[in-house]
Amino acid sequence: MPTRYVLIGNSAAALEAIRGIRKHDREGAITVINREEGPAYSRVALPYYVAGEMTLNDLLIRQRPDYGSLGASLVEKENVTAIDAAGKKVMLASGKKVEFDKLLIGTGSETIKPPIQGLDQVPHHYLWTLDDAIGMKKAAEKAQTAVVIGGGFIGMLAAEALRKLKIKLTIVEMAPILLPQLLDEGAGKLFLQAVRDEGVTVRTDALVSALAKKGDAIEVTLKDGTTFTVDMAVVATGVKPHVQCVSNGAVTVNKGIVVNEYLASNHPDIYAAGDVAETKDFLSADRSIYAIWPTAVEQGRAAGANMAGAKQVYPGGLGMNVVELFNVTLAQLGRFREGAGDDVKMLNQGGDGLYRKVVVDKNGTLVGAVYLGNENGAAEMGVIHSAIKRREKWQGFQDGRPPVFTYASVMHRVPRY
Amino acid sequence: MKQIVVHQEKCTACRECELACSFSHENIFSPTLSRIRIADFYEEQFYQPMVCVHCADAPCAAVCPTVAIQRQTDGQIKVLDDRCIGCKMCLLACPFGVMGFSPEKGVAHNCDFCDGDPQCVQFCTPGALEFKDVVAIEALAKQKAAAALGLPKA
Ligand SMILES: Cc1cc2nc3c(=O)[nH]c(=O)nc-3n(C[C@H](O)[C@H](O)[C@H](O)COP(=O)(O)OP(=O)(O)OC[C@H]3O[C@@H](n4cnc5c(N)ncnc54)[C@H](O)[C@@H]3O)c2cc1C
Ligand code: SF4
Ligand code: SF4
Repeated sequence: MPTRYVLIGNSAAALEAIRGIRKHDREGAITVINREEGPAYSRVALPYYVAGEMTLNDLLIRQRPDYGSLGASLVEKENVTAIDAAGKKVMLASGKKVEFDKLLIGTGSETIKPPIQGLDQVPHHYLWTLDDAIGMKKAAEKAQTAVVIGGGFIGMLAAEALRKLKIKLTIVEMAPILLPQLLDEGAGKLFLQAVRDEGVTVRTDALVSALAKKGDAIEVTLKDGTTFTVDMAVVATGVKPHVQCVSNGAVTVNKGIVVNEYLASNHPDIYAAGDVAETKDFLSADRSIYAIWPTAVEQGRAAGANMAGAKQVYPGGLGMNVVELFNVTLAQLGRFREGAGDDVKMLNQGGDGLYRKVVVDKNGTLVGAVYLGNENGAAEMGVIHSAIKRREKWQGFQDGRPPVFTYASVMHRVPRY
Repeated sequence: MKQIVVHQEKCTACRECELACSFSHENIFSPTLSRIRIADFYEEQFYQPMVCVHCADAPCAAVCPTVAIQRQTDGQIKVLDDRCIGCKMCLLACPFGVMGFSPEKGVAHNCDFCDGDPQCVQFCTPGALEFKDVVAIEALAKQKAAAALGLPKA
């Protein structure tokens, strides 16, 4: 009998799992279950929709027939409420049950609701799902001013989208810099200045303690007592693995669903991939969750292959981000903040708006990098990225050339600036 | 498929290819906009032309969050401008550093074989670049090289 594969989720992890499965199994039946309606859309493109640069249709990364042509069926608007691991069934909110031979949990992240007094009483917007983006766009059409609570990745993407709509912004961030998960102090300071130079008010080292309705506007109170009013509020205080459907203990959950190097949970037929999975880390002995698109793709593909009988080892999660915000290109790889014993190679200090830093461990192996500058440097970060994955030594700046010929050293010699 | 074959030992780092590429695509002589770049080790007299190899299991295409990078029937890996949102994830995914970006158009770009008549090849006087049907064995060598760089096997 053909294997029955069930995938929960219809985004990066699940879509790649379909490909992974099909590389090894052409017969099996694949069922994709999603609580949302319609074929898959790209979460990463949502800010472009908010900014009015893309239509709803542009956001789609699959059409309905695409599923059929891969031998997969899409079950829409069905929330998985629980998993019966022993009986190998998933329970849907509608009361239906779906049996599986192999299950992938690719439920992604959910937004974290911050402890802000009065939050429930005022209209506010998250930016994670398509519905969020539609709501945010509607509100932005009527707004002239906005507060963005949280200057992390999603908060800054929301800010950039609203800025394109000419909305006057105040960003409130707890850390001393913006994008603390992506930038070290040096690059963080440069970026903060770039954002302020665009006329955006940024409050760092600051917390929003309360929100209150004031007529049609919203009054924002910071912990230090400052108050101001805005037309709309965006909340972007982080995300966490979306593990509700396994809260009955179907599989082991720490921060996310704990999986081994094959992306299998403690149940041999239940796998997890993407933002919801807690995997081993590529650079350390820790376990990690990087809620980013590339990891979801990599894990989804490996999980799918393994569900179909392959033995593909996932080498571990590695942080990587690249984004253009406020006309600055930023990129980060791996351990970009040096730890004990690490060595730092500063290639550019930030003069002329260019900041390039590479981190190597005590053995001289590349472990991380930060980049701030124009778009030209992103390709170099790609080369460093693959060098980190291959655990290459940093060659670029050692004395006593000629260097061992590696792509990392090649790139150092490609004049891109 | 037809590919740009690089004979590294013939490259003199004259960079005519970079200018020809940027001019034919971007209408401006700007090496940073060229899709082929020369890595130069002047002290060692080692010059390496770097250009997209249209990977068997292309990491740039796998990572693209809008499915903007798609393999064409002639085998080339192509960025579809109207799908690209300019997120640059593909630049961070390409192990060779040969996915470029046009700030003007806001889209990523790689070698597109100039519709079958690559200008870099036309202008490469020393003959370090050739556009030819790679026999299976050469294609395989490329795939192996990619695999040795830690890329997934096709
Ligand atoms: C605005 C925005 C911009 C981003 N930009 C970037 C970027 O530039 N670079 C980057 O690397 N990452 C970015 N990300 C993060 C990236 O989108 C995620 O890391 C990625 O989508 C994770 O994929 P996933 O498949 O694990 O989960 P998700 O994309 O979160 O998908 C989860 C899926 O599961 C479904 N689901 C969840 N629970 C249930 C249930 N109980 N029953 C049925 N279905 C369920 C959901 O509907 C969804 O289809 C961005 C995210 C957002 C929101
Ligand atoms: S990863 Fe780089 S070399 Fe490979 S197809 Fe993409 S752009 Fe070309
Ligand atoms: S820059 Fe364009 S082609 Fe590259 S990954 Fe992003 S959307 Fe895809």
